[in-house]
Amino acid sequence: MTWQLLLSACVSGALYAVIALSLNLIYGTMRLLDVAHGEFVMVGAFAGYFLVTLLGVPPVLALLGAFALNGLAGLVLYQWLFAGIIRRARSTESLESTSLLVFFGLSVILQNGAALAFGGTPRAYERYARIVHVGGVAITGNRLVAMAACVLAVVAVLVFFARSTWGLAIRALIANRDAAAIVGIDTQAAFRLTCVLGFGLAGYAGAVIGLMQPVSPFMGGQYLMIGFVIIVLGGVGKLVGSVVGGVLIALLETVGTQLTGPNYRDILIYGTFIAVLLLRPQGIFGRHAA
Amino acid sequence: MSRRAALAGGAATAAGFAARRARAQAGAPLKIGYGLPRTGYLGVASPVAEQAYLLWGEQVNAAGGLAIAGGGRRHVQFVSYDDQSEPSKTAEIYEKLISDDAVDLLLAPYGTPFHIAIAPVIERNRFPVVAAATLSSLLRDMHMRHMWFPQPLPDAYGVILAAFLAAQGVKSASLLTLQLPASLETRKYLLPQLSSRGISVALDQDYPNSTADMTGMVSAVRQAHADAVICLSYPQDSVLYVGTARELGITTPVQLLLIGPGEPFFVKKFARADLEGILTIGEWTPDQARWPRARAFNDAYVARWKEPPDYLDSTVSYASCEILAQAVAQVGLDHDAITAAMDSMAFDTVKGPIKFRGVENISTQPGLLQFQSGALQIVWPPDIATARFRPKTGWSL
Repeated sequence: MTWQLLLSACVSGALYAVIALSLNLIYGTMRLLDVAHGEFVMVGAFAGYFLVTLLGVPPVLALLGAFALNGLAGLVLYQWLFAGIIRRARSTESLESTSLLVFFGLSVILQNGAALAFGGTPRAYERYARIVHVGGVAITGNRLVAMAACVLAVVAVLVFFARSTWGLAIRALIANRDAAAIVGIDTQAAFRLTCVLGFGLAGYAGAVIGLMQPVSPFMGGQYLMIGFVIIVLGGVGKLVGSVVGGVLIALLETVGTQLTGPNYRDILIYGTFIAVLLLRPQGIFGRHAA
Repeated sequence: MSRRAALAGGAATAAGFAARRARAQAGAPLKIGYGLPRTGYLGVASPVAEQAYLLWGEQVNAAGGLAIAGGGRRHVQFVSYDDQSEPSKTAEIYEKLISDDAVDLLLAPYGTPFHIAIAPVIERNRFPVVAAATLSSLLRDMHMRHMWFPQPLPDAYGVILAAFLAAQGVKSASLLTLQLPASLETRKYLLPQLSSRGISVALDQDYPNSTADMTGMVSAVRQAHADAVICLSYPQDSVLYVGTARELGITTPVQLLLIGPGEPFFVKKFARADLEGILTIGEWTPDQARWPRARAFNDAYVARWKEPPDYLDSTVSYASCEILAQAVAQVGLDHDAITAAMDSMAFDTVKGPIKFRGVENISTQPGLLQFQSGALQIVWPPDIATARFRPKTGWSL
């Protein structure tokens, strides 16, 4: 049974890691407080759903389709909206407060727009539904595919940021935006790429959720909360921290509640969150500001 | 012009104005108000109820309008608002519908806390409302005078569920209860019924609405080795339960989910073999031949919305409209007269005949539905059953 719980934790943890990575990219790089992130996940979930059910796209390709559609939306939003907000901001604090309001508005528009366009009724499809046995542990095929897809995405993102020029440039921006600009990094281009990656990954995560669960216009809220908890745990701008934080939250959610009881889920998650804020406010992988 | 001619002309003009005003009044649409959660956490669940309201309104208008005792027919015009899944907003909306919008009639909101929220408003205004999608005995116990409940209440489901389990020879049951009103109330009434029938509770676990993984709980169900699993769930966690029970190979022959299996998306989410044998509460199917309008409603709903109705919420919402319409056809729009009619009339609805004693429906027997060959059939109680209960035999591979 322990292995069953651990496998479930891996599925949730991989998904949470992708969501937290995408949120951390947007906040860590541009300091945009994206409280509409759950709605971008929802948009990706609907994109995946319609690609599979209307166009007959294989679900694995639909994940990439959702990434592309959301990434494109992120690029358009950057050009038309975020670039101006970032340019006009006098300080990080004012950027955060302005973006909070903008994303709050976007959240309402996206949620209600989706409800008007698609209706509030949940939608679901069934693919990869066979039971697969992994080392004696049974798991539904779609959950296994979801986990594999999330692990692949996490590895791809981490490799990109560790090896590629643009990845290193964005990490430099996360570490110190002014210094990065001084050494010649094209911040506008890096921000554009971050938006494509960040919002694209949110859409990818949404399509992954659609593989396993019903999708609806109101599904995003829970993932936003989890995303913020994880990036605070792992450290703002710390990509590896997002992955570790995602797995930690998933372990608390499955193994932790098995040891204590389902009613302790929120206490475990938010208790850990508060403890980290008190003991290590910069996050597990964060460093004190100089 | 003579004085006589002037008076005659004035009288004719006044009579003309009065006749035009009467014609305008008769031709004015009948305003029917309601508030439902189109956004917020219940926005996902309420469309099945609103779609039933809208279908009913369209059908009434297509038939020439709502028949009103002594007043011919008037077309129906809905005045509706989004309560954003906040009960306090629902109370404000119903206050506005009554005072500002001056609606002629009201339809019910969605969900138990929302019915509770409007109770003081409708009692203060003596405005009759036929409840719809709510599963709570609380409102009955509040001794309301202007709200009636076509849906059987949780205490009634507790009785029949225990009776059903006893009839299947169940000696022990595992209970998983979501911490939301309908689930908690059902558990409250079910536990003493199980005890009185000698059915032991092998596992009694409640869980919060934020639960995203049920592996631990379903593992405990497996270890409990009970004869039945009663998961008092809502749609989202019903999906979680089925997925997890399938992975863990829960082979208990009796597995019941409180709310969810009757919703259209549920059938699309799982293979027929996984749905087969799953039980849920409900006493409606279009296959119940004794209620000839059930099939007609089902077909009209499918034609209009391209999906089947929810066997609980869509049907009771539509039935609430039918009850109100039949009362208005009998006594007109006077609210006191409608209130009196609710006490005295018997109603013919898509859920079969409905008669209220106090505020409670005493005609509809609460029942249990089971997926059989991809469709929900009534399997309990025997006198309204459309099929015999079949033990759940497993899951798809």
